[in-house]
Amino acid sequence: MRPAAPVRLTDDSRVLALIEVRDRVLTAIRAFFRHNGYREVTTPVMVRCPGLDRHVEAVPAGNGLFLATSPELHMKRLMCRGAERIFQITPAFRAEEQGAHHTCEFLMLEWYHAGIGYREMMQETGDLLEHVTSSCRLLPAGLEFPLPRMSLDQLYEQAVGWHPSERWNEDRYFRDWAVTVEPYLQTLPAVIVYDFPSALAALSQVSSVNKRICERFELFINGLEICNAYTELTDPEEHRVRFEQAARSRTRLGRPAYAPDEHFLQAVDAGLRACAGNALGVDRLIMALTGASHIQDVSLFPEDWQHPS
Amino acid sequence: MLDTSALRKNLKIIIDGDPWIVVDCQFVKPGKGQAFTRTRLKNLVTGSTMDRTYKSGEKIGEQARIDECNMVFLYEQGGAYTFMDNNTYEQVELNADQVGEALNFMTENMNVEVDFYNGMPIAITLPNFVELEIVDTEPAVRGDTVSGATKPAKLSTGYSVNVPLFITSGEAIVVDTRTGEYVERVKK
Repeated sequence: MRPAAPVRLTDDSRVLALIEVRDRVLTAIRAFFRHNGYREVTTPVMVRCPGLDRHVEAVPAGNGLFLATSPELHMKRLMCRGAERIFQITPAFRAEEQGAHHTCEFLMLEWYHAGIGYREMMQETGDLLEHVTSSCRLLPAGLEFPLPRMSLDQLYEQAVGWHPSERWNEDRYFRDWAVTVEPYLQTLPAVIVYDFPSALAALSQVSSVNKRICERFELFINGLEICNAYTELTDPEEHRVRFEQAARSRTRLGRPAYAPDEHFLQAVDAGLRACAGNALGVDRLIMALTGASHIQDVSLFPEDWQHPS
Repeated sequence: MLDTSALRKNLKIIIDGDPWIVVDCQFVKPGKGQAFTRTRLKNLVTGSTMDRTYKSGEKIGEQARIDECNMVFLYEQGGAYTFMDNNTYEQVELNADQVGEALNFMTENMNVEVDFYNGMPIAITLPNFVELEIVDTEPAVRGDTVSGATKPAKLSTGYSVNVPLFITSGEAIVVDTRTGEYVERVKK
């Protein structure tokens, strides 16, 4: 017999309690960034280019526009204009993603910090989490600071016995992830996984000491992917190469290729300063803080997504 | 042929000629990676289970042609569960494994749907919402409404669900049988 399922109810008391929790978390996040010299920005939700990820599907918004899958490109355009520290909390949209940890519309916290790399960003991420957990007085069991770290190769070594950066095989990598690695991460309270294979660099900087890895990390709390961060790629030529690779790869997968964002590429041509960026799923953070097992458990409107037939 | 987009709990599907039911399915997708669905399947004839992980879009099998018949649960005796067709008075028996998780929410005289495959009763499906009585739960206590807005409550079937603090023993509640979750208090 399975354990009693969590209540995913729409009782007023539940909704009022969630309003309270969500407000505390959002207030703590904003306080952290203000204290650390950040400016809060907003960027368009309807965009021409929804990004370049092979495996992220955008929701069409009509007139050739899409709902933003993340505010990355617009926030980097602000960094190109000279912004030093910016953050925002915004809805992001990804089609075809629905499950206990996924929902088509979710709340994303994204921030950029000039003059630092991904190592410093790991520290900053830990600082943010420490601030949020202490000011909200919600500390998930087993969560300790500084956050433990392991490289992605170490993670795969422990979980499945091979090093993705040395023998890259995309299909094997993702299948192993779904079958073994993700369940393995569920046994760890919290861990920063860093140095992803270069094939998964997206818009991160490839390491100058080892071309097979990129300066990217993710934080997992009990197997739940909380954030994804990079030392940001700054080289204009390399940006065009990555956009073209992504478009080709999407075409091969039979997916629509998105036109590159020329405004973004022009801004990068003019100069993107060295910086690190991080994107964090706010709903998932609240799940981790409250011990919720389903993303709709932290939603104020779970009834909108229950049992889609 | 069905693909992964059809996958959901309680889907009945023919894989390599055998009828299976999806007892658990989880969508797994790294933020920047391929999507998969992890499933646990139960063979509707033998009761054996297997775990399968499908890549998004992958073909999984044929829609099972299952005949559904509305019947009433009569009684359980020695691990055999007897159901009756109210029109023909025909009775069929299923074992506990075939009744499965429905045991958590099924009471005598409940109307259920019995599924037949090749003329054999193989599984039952409960109504989406059923009313059940709470036989045991802690009295409501004042506490932290933020983190502890629920408490466990034992149903007349013996199964335990989480309910809001205001629910008391002896009350009836509506349970969603697909998720096993409390829905609302039955208005008196």
